[in-house]
Amino acid sequence: MKAQDIADLKQLIEFLKEYKVAEFDLDRGDLKIRLKFNPTEASSAGLADLARLIGSAPPAAAHAAISQPTPAPALQAVDPEAGLHLLKSPIVGTFYGSPSPGAAPFVAPGDHVAKGQVIGVVEAMKLMNEIESDVSGEIVKCLVSNGQPIEFGQPLFTIRQG
Amino acid sequence: MLRKVLIANRGEIALRVINACKELGIRTVAVYSEADRDSLHVRFADEAICIGPPRAADSYLNVPAVISAAEIADVDAIHPGYGLLSENANFAEVCRASNIKFIGPPPEVTRLMGEKDKARQAMKHARVPILPGSDGVVATVEEAQDWAKKVGYPVILKAKAGGGGRGMRIVRAHEELPNLFHAASTEAENAFGNGELYMEKFVENPRHIEFQMLADEHGNVVSLFERECSIQRRHQKLIEEAPSLKVTPRMREEIGRTLCHCLKEIGYQNAGTVEFLMDEDGQLYFIEMNTRIQVEHPITEAITGVDMVKAQLLIASGERLEAILPAKLEIRGHSIECRINAEHPQKFTPSAGKITVFHVPGGNGVRVDTAQYAESMVPPYYDSLIAKLIVHGRDRAEAIAKMERALSQFIVQGIETSIPLHRAIFADPGFRAGIFDTKFMENFLAEKN
Repeated sequence: MKAQDIADLKQLIEFLKEYKVAEFDLDRGDLKIRLKFNPTEASSAGLADLARLIGSAPPAAAHAAISQPTPAPALQAVDPEAGLHLLKSPIVGTFYGSPSPGAAPFVAPGDHVAKGQVIGVVEAMKLMNEIESDVSGEIVKCLVSNGQPIEFGQPLFTIRQG
Repeated sequence: MLRKVLIANRGEIALRVINACKELGIRTVAVYSEADRDSLHVRFADEAICIGPPRAADSYLNVPAVISAAEIADVDAIHPGYGLLSENANFAEVCRASNIKFIGPPPEVTRLMGEKDKARQAMKHARVPILPGSDGVVATVEEAQDWAKKVGYPVILKAKAGGGGRGMRIVRAHEELPNLFHAASTEAENAFGNGELYMEKFVENPRHIEFQMLADEHGNVVSLFERECSIQRRHQKLIEEAPSLKVTPRMREEIGRTLCHCLKEIGYQNAGTVEFLMDEDGQLYFIEMNTRIQVEHPITEAITGVDMVKAQLLIASGERLEAILPAKLEIRGHSIECRINAEHPQKFTPSAGKITVFHVPGGNGVRVDTAQYAESMVPPYYDSLIAKLIVHGRDRAEAIAKMERALSQFIVQGIETSIPLHRAIFADPGFRAGIFDTKFMENFLAEKN
């Protein structure tokens, strides 16, 4: 192993320990790594960070086995592509992507949105609450489906700021 | 039977309610703030919904968030626990309007008991002994002075919308009254949004005695006897025990019968606790009613064998008391509870942080209700109660011996707890002899320093 590989590996191991990952496999062609840690409660965060740490390896080639599912989505969930903004729900309720059933959705992937623009609605206690974008940018992906129950802080959209 | 219940609370009481639901085959939904993501109540519920950021006002006290969670989880009922929204009549009304069963009394009854001066009048009407005092709100300093002359100093001014020891001032002399009136009113305004006050005779060294009541939805009411909660610091209970050494069988029977009659009259439903002061002559006086399950309910469970939370769930499901309770309710043995708080045992400063070691005691007649575990966090946003240690013995002496043994084996590291304080209290000869009143802690702490 090259000196840089060893340095990377040390950093990787520290990272995995911090997030309590149970098992880790990497096949990068020139490098194969298999790590197994003592069983412990794992968090569901950090997949994308792992991929970044390894460098040019595509995210699909790195597997991190999570030993125990947690009941809530991680607030720190990081998108596979760096620099994307997560729009999270400020309230609990039911998400709707369009102003009324059958109407066109507020936004679609690729649309540019301005800060403050309404990009969805969350129904709570029979009231429709408009969800405004908190940044300007391009809608990359809608993470929830129409009529899906969502909780406080649940990621709704990824937005590329700009 | 209820099918699915949302628990609008956190910590040990949320877990307590979840446990009772599980044992009855009821599905559970937990709600939590971001600070409680790794809590046991979240982990052990069937479903969990994040409802807000750490601050209680934005999460656990956020009525739209709680109701919205109840709707998306499609629950039958909400159990509010204690504190938080449990005595919020508006919340109970919103539940009713949203077609969700609120596990507790009807909103009108909660509202009645929440207005302390009205509660006094209702009790007076039902011949429950009350302290001499004003007939309702005392609007001005002049009125207060008139009433104080009638009642006789010392008097206490109390917030009409209050509780928990706030918005209260003791007045011992005529000259002090104007300033204290304004102080109490301002504190009440800030704490409860309502600065109105009423007045009661102040009893110098009272004992705090409370009666546990249960009422079904068919007009049946029963008393599950009393608890004594005189060991308090700044109106916060530290140790509770059942039965009280000072309540005679005759008093127990008479008060129990009077309260059953009173609660039937006002249409009470579900669990509730009626609080009294006992003066030096052993006379009981009503002070307030809590329309919810209380922290110290386990000591009543120990001496009666009745699971209080299951009783609440069954009552809310429409069951009659005769189907829920044993045919004959009796007091068996003696039970004591210590409230273990995350605070410095001498300075009483709150101690939030990560618990590194958590070993709870066990054994015959020893129960620990807690939502903490090794490596868990105690967040700084909520009250400091982290565990309840309850013992049950054949008599008070055995209960004390069990508590001393259990406290010595309760190991918590990483944060400060009140365990050393509790151990010191149990070594105190006055406490051991049952010689105490609500001034006990003040004197005990003064002696230590």
